[in-house]
Amino acid sequence: MTQMVPNSTNEIMVKKDTSTGPWLDAWRSFRKNKVALVGAGIVLFFLLLAILGPFIAPQGINDQSLKDRLLPPSSQYWFGTDDFGRDIFSRIIHGARISLWVGFSSVIGSVVVGSILGIIAGYYGKWIDTIISRIFDIMLAFPSILLAIAVVSVLGPSLQNALIAIAIINIPNFGRLIRSKVLSIKEEEYITSAKAIGMKDLRILFSHILPNSMAPVIVAGTLAIASAIIEAAALGFLGLGAQAPAPEWGKMLADARVVLRNAPWAMIFPGIAIMLTVLGFNLMGDGLRDALDPRMKN
Amino acid sequence: MGKKKIWSFLLLMLVALSVVLAACASDDASESNTEKENEGTTEEDTGSTAAEDKVLVFGRGGDSVSLDPAAVTDGESFKVTQNVFETLLNFGKQDTTINEGLATKWEPSEDGLTYTFTLREGVKFHDGTDFNAEAVVKNFERWANGSEDKFPYYASMFGGFVGDESHVIESVTADGDYTVVFKLKRAQAPFLKNIAMSPFGIASPTAFEASGDKFGDNPVGTGPFKFVEWKRNDSVTVEKFADYWNVGYPKLDKIIFRAIPDNSTRLNSLLTNEIDLADGINPSDAATVEGDSNLQLFERPSMNVGYLGLTTTRPPFDNVKVRQAINYAIDKQSIVDAFFEGRAEIAKNPMPPSISGYNEDIPGYEYDPEKAKQLLAEAGLADGFEMELWAMPVPRPYMPDGAKVAEVIQKNLEDIGVKATIVSFEWATYLEKARNGEADAFMLGWTGDNGDADNFIYVLLDGDNIGSNNYTYYDNQDLHKILIAAQTEVDEDKRNELYKQAQEIIFEDAPWVPLAHSTPLLAGKADIVDFLPHPTGSDKLTNVDFK
Repeated sequence: MTQMVPNSTNEIMVKKDTSTGPWLDAWRSFRKNKVALVGAGIVLFFLLLAILGPFIAPQGINDQSLKDRLLPPSSQYWFGTDDFGRDIFSRIIHGARISLWVGFSSVIGSVVVGSILGIIAGYYGKWIDTIISRIFDIMLAFPSILLAIAVVSVLGPSLQNALIAIAIINIPNFGRLIRSKVLSIKEEEYITSAKAIGMKDLRILFSHILPNSMAPVIVAGTLAIASAIIEAAALGFLGLGAQAPAPEWGKMLADARVVLRNAPWAMIFPGIAIMLTVLGFNLMGDGLRDALDPRMKN
Repeated sequence: MGKKKIWSFLLLMLVALSVVLAACASDDASESNTEKENEGTTEEDTGSTAAEDKVLVFGRGGDSVSLDPAAVTDGESFKVTQNVFETLLNFGKQDTTINEGLATKWEPSEDGLTYTFTLREGVKFHDGTDFNAEAVVKNFERWANGSEDKFPYYASMFGGFVGDESHVIESVTADGDYTVVFKLKRAQAPFLKNIAMSPFGIASPTAFEASGDKFGDNPVGTGPFKFVEWKRNDSVTVEKFADYWNVGYPKLDKIIFRAIPDNSTRLNSLLTNEIDLADGINPSDAATVEGDSNLQLFERPSMNVGYLGLTTTRPPFDNVKVRQAINYAIDKQSIVDAFFEGRAEIAKNPMPPSISGYNEDIPGYEYDPEKAKQLLAEAGLADGFEMELWAMPVPRPYMPDGAKVAEVIQKNLEDIGVKATIVSFEWATYLEKARNGEADAFMLGWTGDNGDADNFIYVLLDGDNIGSNNYTYYDNQDLHKILIAAQTEVDEDKRNELYKQAQEIIFEDAPWVPLAHSTPLLAGKADIVDFLPHPTGSDKLTNVDFK
């Protein structure tokens, strides 16, 4: 450090402007990334839908009117109606809440459990590491959707259980990520010095190691929300997720399958909704990776 | 190195993909080439190739359970056996009147206790065995000495087996080569209809004595088609029997019954020419079929009922007021309009109007949510209750889309304050659990097998059939007495009167919400002629031909 200051006065000036922390740095780099901003915009849009849904939607989730079934999109029904004469537009708006709720909460669940297991495995090593890592390996050996179906079959089909299943199948991904990060961080000098001054393990773990290993988790988490939404839709499609009359997008697709020939809109719009949300999270996740990963910086 | 590996792997995949695509493309090309060649050749040629090999591929919803008709009760099995075996009597082409089959004459005695059948001469089984009175006797002896596991339908139609007190048939004897005499212990009104049912197709005694339990894998009958091969869960193939007694028939050379479980997939297979005839067309696809000049739509005459059963032993459905309330709550008209596309009649009785003994005077429960709420209040459930609503996982002829109809019912119930959760299981599990009385309310249906009222009301709602086909556990002794009396009543008018009374009792007790009598749909190629779908669901394809 002492070397750098006299080296160039310019650098000091630049530093003064920018050095308000790595998070702000990340934000600056993220802001420059147009594609990522579009992704974030989409995510924000669906978040607003999820929060304000009941106030915006012209109809409730189950306002059946069998006389008006399978009507094409019109000024009254923007996205047409489904087999029960329900407004697809309203149901998609209500469905945003379900999909985002499943996406966020399942990922939060797997991040929390995965982080704890990953930290324990990475920090303590030895036999604990072996056991936890092998369990992760076993879980990763199954195709994730198969594992989710197995979990739901045991717990019984419902949105709640689909959420738990998706959380469970994502645990090893985060666990391994954190573990590898912890392995490298625990060799850092500041950890050694923390140990040297007699800091307790728990404090080292939660105030030093955990915050420093969060960046990749945020990136992986954002991308995982996208896949969690797809998995929830897949389970819903198979009848293992949200149950009728919940306007879950995957279930809407499954319901519309039979009438695909006569009423393609019943399938197209929920499909677009799923695609857009997933695209939003993926773009945002990519942008975050560029912003947070030090290796990506020049 | 890592990157290089990935690239070479991708390249490999690309090459593999292009090989596959190229293969497909050349297939298409060669097909269109041959088509063009055909067009180029004279019409006589194409005519003769068609005449050489007339193969009908019949797409249906499920595979056979067994090819021995006496061993099964399911419609898919009968679809095949109906063409391999023949019964002593046949139903009419599109009804359940009694017509000659392997027997050309049948005479009941005055008291209804003796039936004398004169058999058709010159009939051979596929294995060359002669068909005669002795063969008929051996068949009935085989069934009568069986058990519930082996021949379930025999037991329910003829009251059990040899030694059982309720067994209807006392003896079956041959009188000369071509006369068979049946002696009954008690009169049985639907006896001739029972004899005409698909399960009682006459099998070759030589074959079933030789193959024993394995007869179901290699059936031998007298029918127009003989068995060729059975690929489990895929297809059953039968081919023309050259020595068929009815000279000039069958018209087809070969039939392949293919199992395609999903209704939409089956229709797609028809559209892509993989199959020629498709059973179980969704009502919503009827317009597609009608609008396609290459296809024709067939309507199967209706002889079924789709219903919502209320398990009468489970509270609160043990209260008749609650059951009536549910009946008033459900908007059947909307259900029929929306999910049967109008190709169904609203049901008010447990059997369809085409069956004699149907009670036209039953008013039925109209759609009246207010009355439903009032009845719930009288039952002490003014605030409603929570229940499970079971929806069948598969499309059935009597219920094209159970899950969706359930969603309408769920909404109807919500309107009267009843919170229903829709539950579904895999089909076999669903039936088993419902049979065990584990459901609060379950959707189900029935297609008649012989066109008799007994085959609906007694089979589905009599206390005797709890544990078999009476899934509601409804048991009313007055009804039971009437139904048993009706079974032995030979006078048609008196018998119909008894069934009308039975329907009044059922209407009052409301163990079901009868929903609809549907008209099941089939679709086939436009050049199929003389295909007449039978109301029982088992079609004889003897006369079917291609134009």
